[in-house]
Amino acid sequence: MLKAKIILVALGAALALPQALAGSTPEEDRKETVEYFKQMFPDVPFEEFVNGQYALNDDRRKQWESMQDFPPYEFAVAEGQEMIETPFANGKTYASCFENGGIGIRQNYPYFDTEKNEVITLELAINRCREANGEEPLRWKKGAIASISAYMASTSQGKPINIKVPDDPDAMAAYQDGKEFYYSRRGQLNFSCASCHVQNPGKWIRADFLSPTLGQPANFPVHRSKWGELGTLHRRFAGCNNNVRAEPLPAQSEEYRNLEYFLTYMSNGLPVVGPATRP
Amino acid sequence: MNKPLLAIGISLALSVPLATQAGPKEDFQEVYSKAQSTHQDAGTFQWTITSDRLKAAKSAADSGDYDKAMAMAKEAQKLAQESAAQRKKQQEAWRQVAIGN
Repeated sequence: MLKAKIILVALGAALALPQALAGSTPEEDRKETVEYFKQMFPDVPFEEFVNGQYALNDDRRKQWESMQDFPPYEFAVAEGQEMIETPFANGKTYASCFENGGIGIRQNYPYFDTEKNEVITLELAINRCREANGEEPLRWKKGAIASISAYMASTSQGKPINIKVPDDPDAMAAYQDGKEFYYSRRGQLNFSCASCHVQNPGKWIRADFLSPTLGQPANFPVHRSKWGELGTLHRRFAGCNNNVRAEPLPAQSEEYRNLEYFLTYMSNGLPVVGPATRP
Repeated sequence: MNKPLLAIGISLALSVPLATQAGPKEDFQEVYSKAQSTHQDAGTFQWTITSDRLKAAKSAADSGDYDKAMAMAKEAQKLAQESAAQRKKQQEAWRQVAIGN
């Protein structure tokens, strides 16, 4: 009898082990992440997470709300609209490169291109569109690209983020790569993104109030008071890496695009609120 | 004057700088190259402070201050080693803290 029991238990373990080793799926990760932050901040409604620190700190929220009457990024959004509507030298416009002419699509970025085997971010798509039409690419972190991205984001206000990780080994590898980046400690200060945004949101680090992972990319491109202008998500990645004394990677490098892929997937279901202001 | 003796004497005197060829510049170059190589080993885990020290080392060497250059190069090597070790450790360590695994 005992022998039979031992065999049964061993068999059960042998069958369960491959499943355990297979690792969690992106959707399982996301659900667990949402649950984690819901438990950490039970009074914050799910959709409010897109407001980052403003969902967690009343003083900061009041300052932010008073800025919303005349958001500092309005001119940049208008500039972005003008740029998008102005034809290239060859007569075509950005509309020719994007679904629905680029209107109301921001929530689908970044996506994994299974033909090119890479993550395509909105900014990457904008510059590829320019190059395909004989135009010089724009610089990645600020200026015109941020304005165009801001306008496109503004046409998707309120739409739920909808990132897909297709059943494709390269897409999964890109997602996993981004996840690994998020949780890996780097820099002389030995911090990972998670050190601040998973383990310590709602706390101060010097003069910055830490936002949680959930909802982080929803408000980009962002007008930071510190920058005095709009900046892209990869600008922020580089800044954060620099803050912990890790050598920043180039904007739109494979690593940063994979990181954006993972990070934005975590915010699936949350509304696009970009562009937005932050300190 | 004994000409052969004079010739030998002059040759010996001229060879002295050659004998001291393994000098501060070469010593520095060896440490600096090693630091650069270790810095590359850190891959995407390079530290900004390592780059700063390498720049300071090169700058000091360019202006002839090999004492400072050597000190900076040694610091850079130490920092680069730590960053390379961090890269190696994080290959698995990240899984311990990741949500969903």
